[in-house]
Amino acid sequence: MANYNIDAKKETTYDAIVIGSGISGGWAAKELCEKGLKTLVLERGKIVEHVVDYPTMNLDPWDMDYRGGLTPEQKKKHYKNIRSGWVGQDTEHFWADDEANPYTEEKPFLWLRGHQMGGKSLLWGKQTYRWSDLDFEANARDGHGVDWPIRYKDIEPWYTYVEKFAGISGEPLGLPQLPDSHFLPPMELNCVEKHVKSRIEKDFPGRNMIIGRVAHLTQPHNGRGQCQYRNRCSRGCPYGAYFSSNAVTLPAANATGNLTIRPHSIVQSVIYDDKKGKATGVRIIDAETNEDIEYSAKIIFVNASTLSTTQILMNSVSDRFENGLGNDSGELGHNLMDHTYRVGATGKVDGFDDKYYKGRRPNGIYIPRYVNIDEKSKSDKFLRGFGYQGGGYRGGNAANIESFGAEYKDNILKPGPWEFFITGFAECLPYHDNKISLNKDVLDKWGQPTLSIDAEFKENEKALNKQIQEDAVQMLEKAGLKDILGFDNEHPPGYGVHEMGTARMGHDPKTSVLNKFNQVHGAENVFVTDGASMTSSSCVNPSLTYMALTARAVDHAVSESKKRNI
Amino acid sequence: MNRRKALKRAGLLAGATVLTPSVFSLLQSCQNEPRLDWQPQFFTEKEATTVSDLLDMILPRTETPGALDVKADMFIDKVVAHTYDENGQENIRNQIAEFNSNCVENFGGDFSNLSKEKKVEVLKAAETSSGKFGRGVWGTGVGPQEPIGFYRAFKSMAIWAYTTSEEIGEKVLSYDPIPGGYEPCKPASEVGNKWSLG
Repeated sequence: MANYNIDAKKETTYDAIVIGSGISGGWAAKELCEKGLKTLVLERGKIVEHVVDYPTMNLDPWDMDYRGGLTPEQKKKHYKNIRSGWVGQDTEHFWADDEANPYTEEKPFLWLRGHQMGGKSLLWGKQTYRWSDLDFEANARDGHGVDWPIRYKDIEPWYTYVEKFAGISGEPLGLPQLPDSHFLPPMELNCVEKHVKSRIEKDFPGRNMIIGRVAHLTQPHNGRGQCQYRNRCSRGCPYGAYFSSNAVTLPAANATGNLTIRPHSIVQSVIYDDKKGKATGVRIIDAETNEDIEYSAKIIFVNASTLSTTQILMNSVSDRFENGLGNDSGELGHNLMDHTYRVGATGKVDGFDDKYYKGRRPNGIYIPRYVNIDEKSKSDKFLRGFGYQGGGYRGGNAANIESFGAEYKDNILKPGPWEFFITGFAECLPYHDNKISLNKDVLDKWGQPTLSIDAEFKENEKALNKQIQEDAVQMLEKAGLKDILGFDNEHPPGYGVHEMGTARMGHDPKTSVLNKFNQVHGAENVFVTDGASMTSSSCVNPSLTYMALTARAVDHAVSESKKRNI
Repeated sequence: MNRRKALKRAGLLAGATVLTPSVFSLLQSCQNEPRLDWQPQFFTEKEATTVSDLLDMILPRTETPGALDVKADMFIDKVVAHTYDENGQENIRNQIAEFNSNCVENFGGDFSNLSKEKKVEVLKAAETSSGKFGRGVWGTGVGPQEPIGFYRAFKSMAIWAYTTSEEIGEKVLSYDPIPGGYEPCKPASEVGNKWSLG
């Protein structure tokens, strides 16, 4: 693997600048570089080179001092993140420092960030699903938010384009509400999952249960290795078997010779020239030296992650845009969404004690949306819909068994009981009053205003969650599970880590921030193609759509640039 | 009096090198009490002895190693020393003291000083009075979670310390660091003990 060019000292002018190197920023960099543009990627964290900078990728529990446990100092550093349950000794170095990067929760909100090259593409769930016109037409249909300026047909070829490069494994179903991707062979369901699938599909016509569609390779692809079923993904994968910027898009960008990536670069603002009527560059603070530096470019992609992208736009003020770049509508910072999370049911499964599995499959099952997809499935209790993830595994909690001693010890070394769970992800409506704002009273380590987050799930999401739990219990009952527990942890937004909106796309500059090609209204050489751009939230995992929107926007940017339109 | 305290009182931990006859007899008098063969980083010797004896009762040596064989007591001491904040440390210290005072009150002595039969009685009582963990999904509790008493929490830590030790993880449980593929429906008999890596 070639080293990256991180020397941005001599050259301060580029053809394009990309802010952020996560899922969407990595794609922007690859596409821009491959189209021949000298591209500067600004990354606020450190360089994480594929394989070389994955220090924990091969560690067994006993190789770690505290076998995954965090020290009090680490817990303090991640004092907000720790609520998620995701951060451990094996991944701690890939999660942002909450103390150095504070945010204010006006209402409870969990904001998970990955401040390093690759961002959260190292840490994401890898579930990859196409959105459909059920999603792109949703706002127009029920009048919430504004209409998406695109439809499925606009993004369809770009889904195919990114899928072919990223490598998505899955099973085609032909469902209109969950269009099939260009698939590598699917991962397999285990025996309990197959059993539950057959019962659910028999007893609930219209419901399907499939193996998750995921950005994990099930066969070698474009020089990357296939999944080895270690399930140590979030530490970085030595085989490059899952999609991350580090393993996939940034090496491709680097191979063109057009990429410069500057680490420790905190973007303060996008520089807007009132006379020219466009952005001319980006102002950064070096995180290590506190030095202020300006870089110029004709095309700027803002891919800092949903909230950080909007934070940068809000901080980019000029005479023309007093309230933040592209904010003629007053919608910048508004319409924040996330999926609801950890609501569903779990149960125990009898009859498979002689069955087990080999390999730690980094994937589970998926039940695509089945409500409000047509007249027949229409609910009178809520708008929009939900899907489920879940899975079957041998688990149990050995500490709960009322026994101890020799027999007990030998018993707990054997495989535990089979369990199966499903947990729903519900669509969140775009509410104007779910918002973020700049907080000038709380400054970060570099003296920059931080974010205040003021968002909550409302009645529609609560009604969806109620249905998620009821349906989950009913499905597990019909599937013959025992000891079924329906649950709703009532997590506030942020826990789903699918934060979307705050700089939405739309037809009209008066009600939206971005146009149909993700260009900022009034600053058309600035593009936003991460979660900030989303006009509605679907119930479907969003990352694949960010990838497709990004590739589409770069294609448009370069073609407009050639025509001298931007 | 435990040995550490006796040594402290005798000034040995402060660097005294000459053992007077009276010190000898003081140390001699402690020899009937259980002793540790390792130096805890956090626990007092008495606490560490309780921890070790609990581990030996819950996960004793059989045909396979026991918790003490894989030094689960030393590991738990290290974890409390380095990953607990001050509140957490004070809490476990109080819980062990409370556990021992219950043993004194109801069974006539600190846990470590009880006969095997009485230790069994203590643990049987603790099994029914220290709560149960609620259910979990993706490593996080879901649904109702009742309060967990010291014994149940300790037992959970004991299992963790035991099953994530190198010896158990590699040689007793089924160890497969690089499975290479997924076999979704394998006869459990072909695997044997459960997989060690989650």
